[in-house]
Amino acid sequence: MADFTAEVFQNEFLPDGGTDLHAIVRVTSTGASAAGSGTAPIAPGSAAEVILIDTSGSMGRRGVQAAGEAAKAALAEITDGTLFSIVSGNGTAQIIYPYSHQGALVPMSSHTRGEATRAIEGLRAQGGTAMGTWLTLARQIFATVPHVTKRHAILLTDGVNEGETPQSLAAAVQSCIGVFQCDCRGVGDQWRVEEVRGIASALLGTVDLIPAPEEMAAEFEAMMRASMARGVANAELRVWVPQGAELLFVKQVSPTLEDLSSRRTEVNPLTGAYPTGAWSDESRDYHVAVRLPARTLGQEQLAARVQITLGGEPVTQALVKARWSNDEALTTRIDPAVAAYTGQAELAQMIQDGLAAKASGQDEVATAKLGRAVQLASATGNEEMTTRLRKVVEIDDADTGTVRLKKGVTKIDEMSLDTASTKTSRVRR
Amino acid sequence: MTDTPTGAPASAPLPAAASEATQPGERSCPVCGAANPAEASFCEACGNDLNAPGATLPPSGLPQASLFPQAVAPAGMPSGGPSPAAAGGPVAQAGAAGQAGQAAPVSHDGAGAAADGLVAVATPQTAPAGEESPLDVGWTGPVPSAAVGGADAGDDTLCQACGLGHIVDGYCDHCGTPPPDPRFHVTDAAATWVGGVCDIGKRHTRNEDAMALRAAEPAGSRAVLVVCDGVSMATDSHIASLAAAQAARGVLDQPFPKGAGTPDAWAAAAGRALTLAVHEANAAVSVTVDDDVPNPPSCTFAAAVVEDGIIVAGNVGDSRVYWFPDADAEPAAQLGRDDSFAQEEMTNGVSRVAAESGPHAHSITRWLGKDSPDDLTPHLTTLTPTSGWLMVCSDGLWNYCSEAEDLRNLLRERAARVGEEPVVLAQSLVDFANEQGGRDNITVALARLAGQGSNDTHGAAETAAPEEGAPING
Repeated sequence: MADFTAEVFQNEFLPDGGTDLHAIVRVTSTGASAAGSGTAPIAPGSAAEVILIDTSGSMGRRGVQAAGEAAKAALAEITDGTLFSIVSGNGTAQIIYPYSHQGALVPMSSHTRGEATRAIEGLRAQGGTAMGTWLTLARQIFATVPHVTKRHAILLTDGVNEGETPQSLAAAVQSCIGVFQCDCRGVGDQWRVEEVRGIASALLGTVDLIPAPEEMAAEFEAMMRASMARGVANAELRVWVPQGAELLFVKQVSPTLEDLSSRRTEVNPLTGAYPTGAWSDESRDYHVAVRLPARTLGQEQLAARVQITLGGEPVTQALVKARWSNDEALTTRIDPAVAAYTGQAELAQMIQDGLAAKASGQDEVATAKLGRAVQLASATGNEEMTTRLRKVVEIDDADTGTVRLKKGVTKIDEMSLDTASTKTSRVRR
Repeated sequence: MTDTPTGAPASAPLPAAASEATQPGERSCPVCGAANPAEASFCEACGNDLNAPGATLPPSGLPQASLFPQAVAPAGMPSGGPSPAAAGGPVAQAGAAGQAGQAAPVSHDGAGAAADGLVAVATPQTAPAGEESPLDVGWTGPVPSAAVGGADAGDDTLCQACGLGHIVDGYCDHCGTPPPDPRFHVTDAAATWVGGVCDIGKRHTRNEDAMALRAAEPAGSRAVLVVCDGVSMATDSHIASLAAAQAARGVLDQPFPKGAGTPDAWAAAAGRALTLAVHEANAAVSVTVDDDVPNPPSCTFAAAVVEDGIIVAGNVGDSRVYWFPDADAEPAAQLGRDDSFAQEEMTNGVSRVAAESGPHAHSITRWLGKDSPDDLTPHLTTLTPTSGWLMVCSDGLWNYCSEAEDLRNLLRERAARVGEEPVVLAQSLVDFANEQGGRDNITVALARLAGQGSNDTHGAAETAAPEEGAPING
């Protein structure tokens, strides 16, 4: 069984009259992958995988062929015993495997893997793109196995969702929340990062760019391997704050940025639960901000209790404390983890805002936002992000954030910057 | 005590200050009566929410309504109990203010208590009925659950701050408040004639004072009063002071050997016992800490023993023993003297007010601890008193009233107000110090002597009496 541990990074000291407390809670799971995958075949029917492949006309023969190769690579990674299904999507969605007489899902075996491979080879590119219908079909597939707790899908697309209204897509995404997790990948430069990020984010998955079709197979393999490694399903983050306090936000800040605040479900008036999906052996950081009524100097208070629960049972917790002091040496210190993640969150926001402004022709706004992003990336030593930014802007002075928009930037570079913006670099203590 | 004061110590503003119950700008806790700074959100003594309805907005500027959506509890409801009217919020303990015994809500600018905080007399006896035992009238802090009757009895995880949550992992699961450290406020009614209060004060986050009392009936027969004040500059001095006080009491608890049965022999034995108590206390402090701690814990020592009406007192450091005779003709006196820079300055002719407000007024020249000076012989005094009060106190009290005569006046004034039960009177003096600012931990231990001790009361002391009536001067 998986072990969870939690540790807190915070400065608990608040100045006289201080009300806002920030803390980073790092949750680490060990033994989670052993719980679900690895060498031994898993118990049949304890996990389910659905692969959603874009087969719209824009994919073309080469695209569909590459997607097929990618799907086959993913199949190779699916542990025997795992229930799986392959869906081809364009303006509508169809299960291409298992065959209709087999039901919506079949357990993986060498036999079914072979059949699935042959089914994939029959894929043809045609029609439009309506991802909502794909997701809806995936939801229906998962609904046939209500006892399976670990449900994961991979969605591959190459284009804009133009086969349905945005409202229709949003409704489909909404109906899938909590039903399954979905990692999304876009291939080429014709898809919209914002759109696909919305799906991945709501369905507790990742989003990334696959620049060229031939890179798909490796990406699918990695994605599926990661999914198979997640042996713990449906862990919940719970945050308690005391009576009279206000929970300002709960964000996942590592490995990716996700504001979880809006996903709160109430456990009781003082406690909210936030879905975190499945866990492998990994570590995730959460940023919790609480506003407390100020107490008198010297007083101490529990500001938040952060727990991970499995099936409603807490498996680890961290205590966020507040203590009021008039010692400025204590109260003015900002915890390095809090500072770093606050900076990374702003960096992500600046990149996304800057690229959006650029896309809508607001060059001045884009220059200012991306300039600030360059400044933040430079100040925090985030060289990877600086490199990506450099492909979009000419950096005159990183310290002051003085930049010029580059001419003739490839769309792929912008998209790669956009998708990378929410990936954070782990903060060390 | 021996920390460097952040501001000049207030000279004792007597008697005006003593007659004021609560300073303007302060607010009394409606539950326990302790005085709190005007900006306080929670009572420093009991953790009660001072911003419950009827009180002021919290300084954070957060909307009151959303923070404290609870109903006002009916007056007289025990604050520890859950409120039927407040299923979703903390009990509004302000409701209990209405029954504060001597409390006289003061109206400020016509706005009344609701606008300016509840201002009430800070003397004890204002705890809601049902929360205190008759023996615990000096209580200003939370009552141990064992002492609380009714539904709360036996539930020692119930939060004493909000009364709604339970202590889980060291904090209330409703309001987040940790349970108060029992050291924050200690009362000991050792006997009908001996009692003391040891209080955290209002500025410190830790109570480094410690008190150890023991007394037998009848009055005047035998009592031990020990007060130790941890040095705040040192590490873990709160552990040191308690260890010292208890070790000293252990030594002094034994009847003094009578020797040849003469007064001189008794005085010599008493003196030896006090010296031994200091050394045992010193040893107890030293074992609280590992070797080579840069700032080893240390504390002061002040003790008085009453045996068959006779007093022997001794001190190291600047905690004090006072004798306050009832008769005006007899002078009030500090027994022994401080080991402090202030005392040295006074010896050199500097006035008490000047010396005790100087920058090093709180630096002591002798203390108990690993790094203590070699000579730890206490300043000894033996005295056969008339009727009056014996007091052992820390500088948390005398900082605000140092002269023996001033302190006698203060004590009389307080006694006229609250009566002569020792623990009640000690609490009243602690309240006084808190009203003056409570900058340090405060300990006051008192013994009421009727004069000639057990001779007058014919108390058949368990121990053989020394030569009766013979005055001994040390």
